[in-house]
Amino acid sequence: MSEYKSVKVVKGPSGWGGPLIITPSDQQKYIISVTGGGVHKVAQEIADRTGGIAIDGFEKSVPKEEIAAAVINCGGTARSGVYPRMGVKTINTYSNSPSGPLLKFINEGNFVSGVDVRNIEDLEAEEIAASSIEESQPSNLMDKKIAQQLKEEAKAKVRENNSEKGKKKNPIMKLIEVLGNKVGNVVSVFFQSGRDTIETVIKNILPFMAFVSALMGIITFTGIGDFIANLVAPMATSLIGMLIISLVAAIPIVSPLLAPGAVIAQVVGVLIGVEIANGNIPPQMALPALFAINPQVGTDFVPVGLTLGEAEPETIEVGVPAVLFSRLITGPIAVIIAYFASFGLYS
Amino acid sequence: MDFLIHLAEGFIGMFQEGGETFMGLVTGIIPMLVVLITAVNALVRFIGEERVNKFAQKCTKFFILRYTIFPFLAVFFLTNPMCYTFGRFLPEKQKPAFYDSAVSFVHPITGLFPHANPAELFVWMGIAAGITELGLSLGPLALRFLLVGIIVMLIRGIVTEIITDRMLKSRNAA
Repeated sequence: MSEYKSVKVVKGPSGWGGPLIITPSDQQKYIISVTGGGVHKVAQEIADRTGGIAIDGFEKSVPKEEIAAAVINCGGTARSGVYPRMGVKTINTYSNSPSGPLLKFINEGNFVSGVDVRNIEDLEAEEIAASSIEESQPSNLMDKKIAQQLKEEAKAKVRENNSEKGKKKNPIMKLIEVLGNKVGNVVSVFFQSGRDTIETVIKNILPFMAFVSALMGIITFTGIGDFIANLVAPMATSLIGMLIISLVAAIPIVSPLLAPGAVIAQVVGVLIGVEIANGNIPPQMALPALFAINPQVGTDFVPVGLTLGEAEPETIEVGVPAVLFSRLITGPIAVIIAYFASFGLYS
Repeated sequence: MDFLIHLAEGFIGMFQEGGETFMGLVTGIIPMLVVLITAVNALVRFIGEERVNKFAQKCTKFFILRYTIFPFLAVFFLTNPMCYTFGRFLPEKQKPAFYDSAVSFVHPITGLFPHANPAELFVWMGIAAGITELGLSLGPLALRFLLVGIIVMLIRGIVTEIITDRMLKSRNAA
């Protein structure tokens, strides 16, 4: 049938977006590689598998209507946004997530990042057939032959161009290109890490700080603090007291109620911190306290955690009670170990 | 009237107090946190998930490594909650023990590597704030928290593995 095939491009391990299905046609036959240093291997691979034509976007420009997909290596925000904005399916070899001024044009239907050659998959035969029948119906046989001829010509031309370029290329220019790509990669990794970090700070850390601050304000101002101090401080100053706290928090019915989001452990942590600062709890007790307030950690999350680990339903059935009962034993043990490990701390 | 003014001032005062706490947290903790998390995130990206996977799978055979280095790598590189996906490298009967072991580590690791669990920092940070206020350094506590955390995850792994094993056996017998 059609000489064009489809490939599915999925995101890389740390990438974003996709999967995109790339199907060149006679109107859109170019896989444009806007990467510098010739045609990127991802672009070449897509072209080889689909029957499209890979071209170097820095050497030659084609109208956007004729582009089937654009392969970029953009660590910043410019190219990552420009092609999606033009309605061109964009494949980024760096693992960016959408950002920047053109953010609103980038979506999972037109952008995929972190892509390497192995993220390209051939599409199932039936799917290809289904999609190609629709496309090939309007064109008659003559047109197709001509189109094929034209395509072969174009392909040969591009190949010629490429080989000429390959010979002509100055070794110094090549070095600069390679170096530029490497540095660009390092910079993009740091930039993306920074972006992720700021997002985490805004989405996770700052809201909890706001919550803690409001709580602290209320506690210290109203005198609830004194009440809690009288209740918690004596418990947290002795090993026995902390063992009691850890045992209660590890009771299989109680622990899943205390665990969600570690909110209770975090609040109690803040309270104990305040009492340490006030001198009501000796600082070396901080270590056993960290374990005493947290024997319930994750007990609400066992089924989800096991599912993430691809466990069978039978394993989950057994695993939930196994973890809960284990905590009754290991919760207090953790406190005892931490208690002895705190000897010599801050003294 | 005086009573109302008193009440209003008290109301505002409560939030002024909270605001000061918030300001202290934002200026005192966030700058260092941002730089640290960025650096570690970059490191994790440079090393790459595949290399970690390959290395981690080698640690699953021996129970000491299985409940120390293996979950450590999971939590450090994949962070909470994606770290539990490492369970797929283990046979069914060890999965609950691995989960128990890994989840026990998501707080001890935050003392030195806050990137692993930024949403639940205050288990550590709440208590750490008290230590800082006394003018003591956090390093010794953070290090001991991490080391005891590793011992605890080993114990949890072993105990839960034994319990799971028993439960599976009694189930099959019944």
